[in-house]
Amino acid sequence: MKPKLSCEWLHGCSGCEIALLNSGELLLSLFQQVDIVHFPLLMDHKYTDGAGDDEEVSLPEADIGLVTGGVGLESHHGVLKAMRRQCRILIALGTCAVHGGIPAMRNQWTAGCTMETVFSTATTEAAPVPDAVPALLDRVLSIDEQVRVDVSLPGCPPRPKMIVSVVEALAQQKKLRLPYKSVCETCPTVRTGKGQAVIRRGTAKPEYTPDEPLSRMRCLLEQGLLCMGPVTAGGCGGREVPLCLRSRVPCRGCYGPVHEGGNQLLDMMNALASNGIDYRTIIDRKSLLRFSGAHGRLRPEKKRRGGQQLS
Amino acid sequence: MNWDAKIIAFCCNWCSYAAADLAGISRLQYSGSIRIIRVLCSGMVHPQQVLHALEKGAAGVMIIGCHSGECHYLKGNELALARAEVIADTLEDLGYAKEQFEFTWVSSAEPERLVAAFHRMSARLADLDRDMPVTITGGAWQQNNET
Repeated sequence: MKPKLSCEWLHGCSGCEIALLNSGELLLSLFQQVDIVHFPLLMDHKYTDGAGDDEEVSLPEADIGLVTGGVGLESHHGVLKAMRRQCRILIALGTCAVHGGIPAMRNQWTAGCTMETVFSTATTEAAPVPDAVPALLDRVLSIDEQVRVDVSLPGCPPRPKMIVSVVEALAQQKKLRLPYKSVCETCPTVRTGKGQAVIRRGTAKPEYTPDEPLSRMRCLLEQGLLCMGPVTAGGCGGREVPLCLRSRVPCRGCYGPVHEGGNQLLDMMNALASNGIDYRTIIDRKSLLRFSGAHGRLRPEKKRRGGQQLS
Repeated sequence: MNWDAKIIAFCCNWCSYAAADLAGISRLQYSGSIRIIRVLCSGMVHPQQVLHALEKGAAGVMIIGCHSGECHYLKGNELALARAEVIADTLEDLGYAKEQFEFTWVSSAEPERLVAAFHRMSARLADLDRDMPVTITGGAWQQNNET
């Protein structure tokens, strides 16, 4: 009997599901090895039997569960707990599930403040918040803040081959080593140890000779571009060149911190300070947590008594 | 101030830890909320460790190293200074107050200076507690894992 695969989609964009479907021929071999019992993007399934409003979510039992997206709405709690109950192995798929991802950027404001900004600011005509919009949770959580997670596969989206090989390895009960080093590990650019003392603006272009391979280009961080490679988990390009670097663009940090509990903002600042780069030249430092704002890393500013802002 | 509040002080083995020793021998009084952690050099304290202390509920963190030019390992305290600036600025981005962190220099013959730094830190945190009571409760953002 084939192992059963269940896939659920919470506070995410469906990019992870599409990455799985984008794995080409590997997908066909995967379909031969597992039975899909629940996959909202591909097949219809009712969460309740329709008898009442307050009943628990019912999901089919499965051996392997994939959850994409973090927890951002009240309804996600029930679905996530049902997934945990019904799945023997639960995989957090994608940066949103593992570290909060892009939706967790709103953790730096309160939920009310976010809604207000979205629906009524100077740039949008004042509109009331529609009733049909489900209320946001106070902040976006990664799924391991709510339930136990067996395997974490970050990425925005994760590498299609990696998703398939992990599911296959679990289905066949084989060992598989996940990547655990930083993006710099597989980056071929030239590091000289001496770089710019400042970080240039995001609009600055790197210097390189168009015909030469990447292995002749100087490290982007040394050129003064804010490359998050040193503090970001690798694996986006497999054992080959990291994806953004292939286009000679600095790493944006989409795989989240290298170590569990790492903090991309603080680690990056530390790396810059230790190498004599003026970290104050970075515009909008907080945005370095753009992919890993859950786990309480991004928070709203606290107000001091007497209304004085924390400056 | 919340009296369970703890202040973690990373003291360099070669100067401030010896100063703390001397402060003890000299019977100088300082707040009971100070918890000293001996490190071999102030430069080895990673910002992550400071953040970890605060995340686990410490009210404040101090890093105390040797005076400039007197580092046992030549340049460790200068590295610590570079890191301290980063920590102080980044803590604010991460939702803590800059008062919760202090970096200072004390030689092994200056127990009074060390104790004064401890006093200053506790007083500062007590002020902060009045202004932002939520900050020092600690762990408010930690959630228990279920299942």
